[in-house]
Amino acid sequence: MNKKIDELQEAIEEWLSPDNYRLKEAIDKTVNEGLFSFPDVKYQLLSLKKTLKKGEFHRWIESSGADLSMQENQKTVLCLHAGNLPLVGIQDILAVVLSNNRYLGKLSRKDPYLSQTLLDILKKRDLLDGRWSADLEDFKDETQKADALLFSGSTESVDPVIDALKTHNLADDSTPKLVRTAHYSIALIEDDRPDTFRQLADAVLRYGGSGCRSVAMVVAPFGLKSKKCEFTDYVEEFWLTNPQHKKPAPSLYHRFAYNKATEIEQSWLDDFLIEETKMEPSESFILHWVKGDIEKLKDLARTHRDGLQTIYVTNPDHELPSDLPKPELLSHAQQPPIWWRPDGVDPLKWLV
Amino acid sequence: MADVPAKLSLSIFDPTQPFIEKARSVFEFQVANNPVYRRFAFHFIPAGELPETVDDIPLLPIRAFKECNLVAEGFEPELTFKSSGTGKMDRSSHHVVDLDLYRRSILQGFSQYFNSTEFTLLCYAPGYSDNPDSSLLWMLQYLVDLDKNGQSRFLPLGQPLRSSNIKRAVQNDRQIVLFGAAFGLLDLLDLDSLKLPGGSHIIETGGMKTHRREMSKTDLRYKLANGFDVPLDHIHSEYGMCELMSQLYAIGDEWFEAPGWVHASVRDPLNPARPCDPGEEGKVAIMDLANLYSCPFILTDDRGVINEEGKLAVLGRWHSAALRGCNFLIDRD
Repeated sequence: MNKKIDELQEAIEEWLSPDNYRLKEAIDKTVNEGLFSFPDVKYQLLSLKKTLKKGEFHRWIESSGADLSMQENQKTVLCLHAGNLPLVGIQDILAVVLSNNRYLGKLSRKDPYLSQTLLDILKKRDLLDGRWSADLEDFKDETQKADALLFSGSTESVDPVIDALKTHNLADDSTPKLVRTAHYSIALIEDDRPDTFRQLADAVLRYGGSGCRSVAMVVAPFGLKSKKCEFTDYVEEFWLTNPQHKKPAPSLYHRFAYNKATEIEQSWLDDFLIEETKMEPSESFILHWVKGDIEKLKDLARTHRDGLQTIYVTNPDHELPSDLPKPELLSHAQQPPIWWRPDGVDPLKWLV
Repeated sequence: MADVPAKLSLSIFDPTQPFIEKARSVFEFQVANNPVYRRFAFHFIPAGELPETVDDIPLLPIRAFKECNLVAEGFEPELTFKSSGTGKMDRSSHHVVDLDLYRRSILQGFSQYFNSTEFTLLCYAPGYSDNPDSSLLWMLQYLVDLDKNGQSRFLPLGQPLRSSNIKRAVQNDRQIVLFGAAFGLLDLLDLDSLKLPGGSHIIETGGMKTHRREMSKTDLRYKLANGFDVPLDHIHSEYGMCELMSQLYAIGDEWFEAPGWVHASVRDPLNPARPCDPGEEGKVAIMDLANLYSCPFILTDDRGVINEEGKLAVLGRWHSAALRGCNFLIDRD
């Protein structure tokens, strides 16, 4: 396994090397076609450069408790990659590589170029066996159904996805599947220091707030009304260097009008809305602001447990009861380690 | 001012007036008297202006019935209906200022399809006295009370439909309309109820998903038809809710038709101002002019689709959670 990790590390270095012109081309195409903004792609690649390290791979394998030496029969793993943020499926790809399985990748049409440059290098170096495409039709010559299925989606999307895969003879109801359904994260802040507000702005607004690790609800010791002007300054500071790529649908303005009508405290930021409500975060481009403390955080996390991905805190000493996810630092919201567990499940361990 | 709503409540049922004209008058009344709707509508239609088309009328999200006191200023409710729900915050409240308006809406809607002198209404539901918050039970009680022969009534819960029930109901050459929540009617079948006599009708009203079972509307209809020995085109549905004074009926199929004072459409959840094309799923929007004193222009959280004839099929609840987070969407990614 040490040898494999060394080879993987070299492959990642080659991929992220400044001399990798194929990656540069992929970035250009991605940006030119309006799929993602350059700051979002750059941020993701810099984050991966920090996290895809040999020591981190070892830590992943150790923390997963997976016995990779036990893996004898290679399975075909079908990965359906979501395209909400750049390279969001990279953890699944690396889990397939480390578990020595065969990769069948449905790349997102919203992100077809970036991961392909990594997949090419992994295949060239014999680290990856498999194939990939942005079109399921391209897998029609697969002779056997996949042995396992990995994807992220809402609970309601599971049946339509399985139906589509049945049509292509790629999976059926009995195919073991790891479906990640969490769609938002929650943060507790306990002061209004510039660092805290900067971290919060980043955790909320990065990638237009579209990831499941993005903060959609914040618990703060102060109400929105008293801090909205101040926080808006940090929002604008963030957007100066990271203009929001994706614009909200008109429904956001309807939400704003509703909040006005019902006198809900809110802050309208044109491309984003902050509102003082504690309802389950279900729509994009909305930050729910709740006045409260760690006890309120626990209440909300339990109430909205089904869709909750991560709980962030600014104080590393905070501990939460075992029925709630282990808290992470707010500053790490958009830079997860490679061994993080979406929906509390390690894909590497699951595959093995 | 007091005359205005009285005239309006009469005119909204006038079949000779186009819906848009009636809707504009009700819109004007709402903007003048309902502060919540006024503040909402102002973001879409400038003060003093009227919507040009029905589609231009701003639709207030239905959760306002949970979060606000939706009643026209200066009017006192006669009664308040509440939706079912567990916690106080989960329940909608509909303040009813004019019960006559509700009576008229119920009767006119129901008698479009069923003449109360020809049918006996058998309701398989708890009595209104058991749940005085329920608008549905109020409606059923009202329809039962309209039957001067006293043949219409609530059936005892937990007991099968017996020959004595049927004999009494069909006296004087009347036919039976059996009305109940979908799961309640299935329970009635499970109790080994008798078949219904020829000419009977069944109206089910939602509740497809319970702790015991979940089934499609089509399966439900077949099950009711076979179980009660009633032809499929005599299996009907009612679409109503605490937040609406009016009801829509699907007669013999799964497509609901709105009465003349109600407009049903389906809206794009990402842009509620846009009506969906026929066949395109979205959120059900209801303009119920009988909601004169609360709020008539509502965007529900139900998922639905409109057909080419403008009839509505209700497909369940709209799940907004699908709109955020990292989602693999098979047909849209």
